[in-house]
Amino acid sequence: MFSNSQFEPNSAFSGGGFMSSQPSQAYETSSSTAKSRDFQGLVPVTVKQIAEASQSGGEKSGIVINGIELTNVSLVGLVCDKDVSKVTEVRFTLDDGTGRIDCKRWVNESFDAREMESVLDGAYVRLNGHLKTFQGKKQLLVFSVRPITDFNEVTFHYIECIHFYSKNSESQLGQQVGDVTQSHMVNSSVTTNQTTTLNPVMSSQNNDGNGRKNLDDMILDYLKQPACTERQQGIHLDEIAQQLKIPKNKLEGVIQSLEGDGLIYSTIDEYHFKHVEL
Amino acid sequence: MDTSSPSAFVNGALLRRYIGQKVRTVVQVIGSDMGSVVGKSTDDLQIFVKGSPPASTTTYLEVIGIAESENSIRAETWTNFGISFDALNYNELCKLANGEFKHLFI
Repeated sequence: MFSNSQFEPNSAFSGGGFMSSQPSQAYETSSSTAKSRDFQGLVPVTVKQIAEASQSGGEKSGIVINGIELTNVSLVGLVCDKDVSKVTEVRFTLDDGTGRIDCKRWVNESFDAREMESVLDGAYVRLNGHLKTFQGKKQLLVFSVRPITDFNEVTFHYIECIHFYSKNSESQLGQQVGDVTQSHMVNSSVTTNQTTTLNPVMSSQNNDGNGRKNLDDMILDYLKQPACTERQQGIHLDEIAQQLKIPKNKLEGVIQSLEGDGLIYSTIDEYHFKHVEL
Repeated sequence: MDTSSPSAFVNGALLRRYIGQKVRTVVQVIGSDMGSVVGKSTDDLQIFVKGSPPASTTTYLEVIGIAESENSIRAETWTNFGISFDALNYNELCKLANGEFKHLFI
């Protein structure tokens, strides 16, 4: 049920060894609720997207942005309110211009402490973290914070957010469009089927049908004439075509169906017909 | 989580839409003194930034603050964006962030 790709990245970023039992529980539930969705890697988002994200099934369920369940997100913004009063964690707020979000970085190794030392209030950082709801508030359990040195990365991040968003909406839209075109195709194939199969039936009932009925009657009426019934060898197709001004190819079809219906019969050869007298 | 006071990405032309509101922009510094910076916006308009700029500024400077008029900002946050910054990209981002994808930002 848990594919490796879903489970391993989650447990890899489970926030360190302190809370191992708690997060794993959370992940079990979240990944079990997320099993139907594709696992996403590190997704670039804005704080506003996170704020507007929905959470379907309580605190332990995943957070859904743009129809995609997110676990790990990447943000760029300004650090503020850095709080180092606790030994085991560093708290701060990230302001990316679209909103602010509380962040927490567990300090387990000296590496974590060193990385957080370089993160100062007012500095632009690239931050990767695990998105989580805790006591009703969304927060980020950060596993990487790096000061930005090339500020094109700021522009890039927001463009990447737009790109990821539009790519996803496109693929969702694409699916919908695909569905629509598929159903269109199904519909059109149905309609073409209708035009190829049903229409002839319908037309045989309506246009050609009436026409054929008229033609049937015209031909029968012609053959029923005493002048024709008297002729032993029957009437040649050419004559009927000439007299009734029916194209010969059309006439052949009608004659065949009349013959099939037992209303006329061929006489001396397959071109001469007589009316069946009942 | 607080999205009550976002700052809109603006270039020179978009600034007028947000007078009285919080904005962010990147300018190329033309001149600066104690209480202000004169900059060129990413779409080549002149912007006056008031407040207290950092002691030394680089070529590109990001300012976040309140738009006071169509060409001036009272800045609260100043960040040096260095000497090589792609103003064109930023300008396009401003347009996207105020257009089709505005809902991702403000």
